[in-house]
Amino acid sequence: MNIAHSIESIGFLSDFSESVLAYPIVLSIHLTCIALFGGMILITDLRLLGIAFKSLTITEVVTSLRPWKRVGGTIMIALGLLLAASEAGKYAPNPYFWIKMITLGLIGVHALIFRPIVYNQTEELDRSPVIPTKAKVAAILSLALWTNMFVMGRLIAYWE
Amino acid sequence: MLLQNGIADALNNTEWAFPLAECIHIGGFAVGVGSIALVDFRMLNLGLRHETAARILRYTEPWTVIGLVFVVFSGLMLFTSQVGLYLTNKVFPYKMYVLVAALIYNFTLHRKVAAMEKAPPGLSKFVAIVSLLLWVSIVFGGVFTGFLEFA
Repeated sequence: MNIAHSIESIGFLSDFSESVLAYPIVLSIHLTCIALFGGMILITDLRLLGIAFKSLTITEVVTSLRPWKRVGGTIMIALGLLLAASEAGKYAPNPYFWIKMITLGLIGVHALIFRPIVYNQTEELDRSPVIPTKAKVAAILSLALWTNMFVMGRLIAYWE
Repeated sequence: MLLQNGIADALNNTEWAFPLAECIHIGGFAVGVGSIALVDFRMLNLGLRHETAARILRYTEPWTVIGLVFVVFSGLMLFTSQVGLYLTNKVFPYKMYVLVAALIYNFTLHRKVAAMEKAPPGLSKFVAIVSLLLWVSIVFGGVFTGFLEFA
């Protein structure tokens, strides 16, 4: 708890949370990133599952969305951490916040496991007559993890 | 009226109903507007360059419609739970004006230009930027609706 309070009292963070406009503006940008780049994650996963966008190759979908997801993801995470740090005292005891952070860690693990065997092997996936199970597993886990991120993010506001 | 009260009661008296409706609202927005943004990014020459904007529009449009239907219905549910608060809110009416404008724009001018085989590049870019600005301002409208009235 003391650590949390020292974090939120760091100069610019306390200015930030005391400003009437800064917090909702940053939250809006955080949500805009979710709308734009969450949509791209969903599209990638649906393509890997073979549910949608079948006329595009997996390679096209993955490689053309990749730079956007990187930029969007970086902004989204940076702003999310800024939001959390500015009210560290409120977030520290909130279980939904910690579930969200653990989920974020698991998303990192997902990337470490599946990037080399799925996301960087899209040409092999496109050549295969049926979409390999490993790609579908990657997509389902990605959907589950991101949905959990998203729902926990909303529930943070409801814990007292 | 009865239906409205029923929905309002469910949202106000069940602990998880309001956050669930909010999740559907934001999730639907991500699907609907995320798919519109893909068309916009293509029109701005920023991604998916192997495909024409017209083809991307064709693939994404069903997702746009499904997403937006979820957004509107969950939005109506959230609205009925606190009608008075929303109607007196300083930001909420503007959010609704922009929403109506964005919906009309998306399915008329935006759709028409995106579907053109050889649209003038300047026009495409302009149409895409207006589209992104409209949808982003709706996100801001939603967040500020909450911050002004319920904070």
